[in-house]
Amino acid sequence: MASTLNLALHERAQRKSLITVAEWETPGEGNTSVQHREILGRRVEDSSIELNPDIQTSTDILGITYSDVAKTEPQQTLDPAYIMGGSDLSSYLSDAMLENNIAAYNGRFNVYIISAFIGDATNGYKAVKHSGCSIIPTSIGGDAYVAMPLEIHFSNDITKGTVDKLSDDFVFTADVTI
Amino acid sequence: MDKEKAVIEFLMTCPKIQGTPLYFNFANAANNTKQLITMANEKALHRPYIDGSVHKRYTLTLIDFKSVAYQPIVSAAISSNENLEDFLQVQDIIDWVDGQNELRNYPNFGQDCYIENMTVLSDSPDLNGVDTKSNPALAKYSISIQIDYLDESKVIWK
Repeated sequence: MASTLNLALHERAQRKSLITVAEWETPGEGNTSVQHREILGRRVEDSSIELNPDIQTSTDILGITYSDVAKTEPQQTLDPAYIMGGSDLSSYLSDAMLENNIAAYNGRFNVYIISAFIGDATNGYKAVKHSGCSIIPTSIGGDAYVAMPLEIHFSNDITKGTVDKLSDDFVFTADVTI
Repeated sequence: MDKEKAVIEFLMTCPKIQGTPLYFNFANAANNTKQLITMANEKALHRPYIDGSVHKRYTLTLIDFKSVAYQPIVSAAISSNENLEDFLQVQDIIDWVDGQNELRNYPNFGQDCYIENMTVLSDSPDLNGVDTKSNPALAKYSISIQIDYLDESKVIWK
């Protein structure tokens, strides 16, 4: 069943209502780990989640064309992504990049895609969680400020659910399938 | 947050502005009088980001009136030329604004606005003209100050 949009008739969903959040862990004291969450896209003017569908088409003898999506490899590019004070992700990825610590990128992130145009604070906002994603810095440098463009490669290991609020301390509740 | 009030309070901490008459938009021009002139900030220059924050620009002009001395520059007395000294006083304001930017000491635009940069649009004061009808004649120097800031008031992610 299709979700209900919380938009007025003909109202367009604002770009800020499609939110991508990265979640990852770093070692803490002893055997503990520290969880981090950070919204992606600060100071980014334009960024889209590209599905990169693998489309296979065939035409039968009646002239009917069939198009089948064999797979998608969703990806999102954030450019520029500036190194900014207060950004745990800037700190984590810049360290990894400068040390060429590839293991720090590969499959280390959960990425939530939150559709704030579906749902509300009472019932929760629709969200999907991609587990085991890779967030990869592709370069570092730029002109006046240090930029570190990022590529997010989504895993398609999806859990559907909702988040209760639009802040880093949200609680993700997976949908229950009966 | 009222940005005009924030900027006025900030500029009044400048040693070259403290204690001198400072007018807003309208001025009773006299020697050492200063006048702040607001400028319309074009919405077309706003840059929205995907998280709902917007890069904005605030600009204003500071006019400094200085009495004119009919005094030629004589090489032996160059350091005591009144017109040159007045010019350098206005230059000091430019240097002060630049210095505050280096220290990241900015006007308070409120908790939803983060100032990224404050700059004077020229390296030296602009002489807009001399009013010879006033007594004494007044030179009108101007400097324009541009403040770039990030407005996060419409961000929905808290």
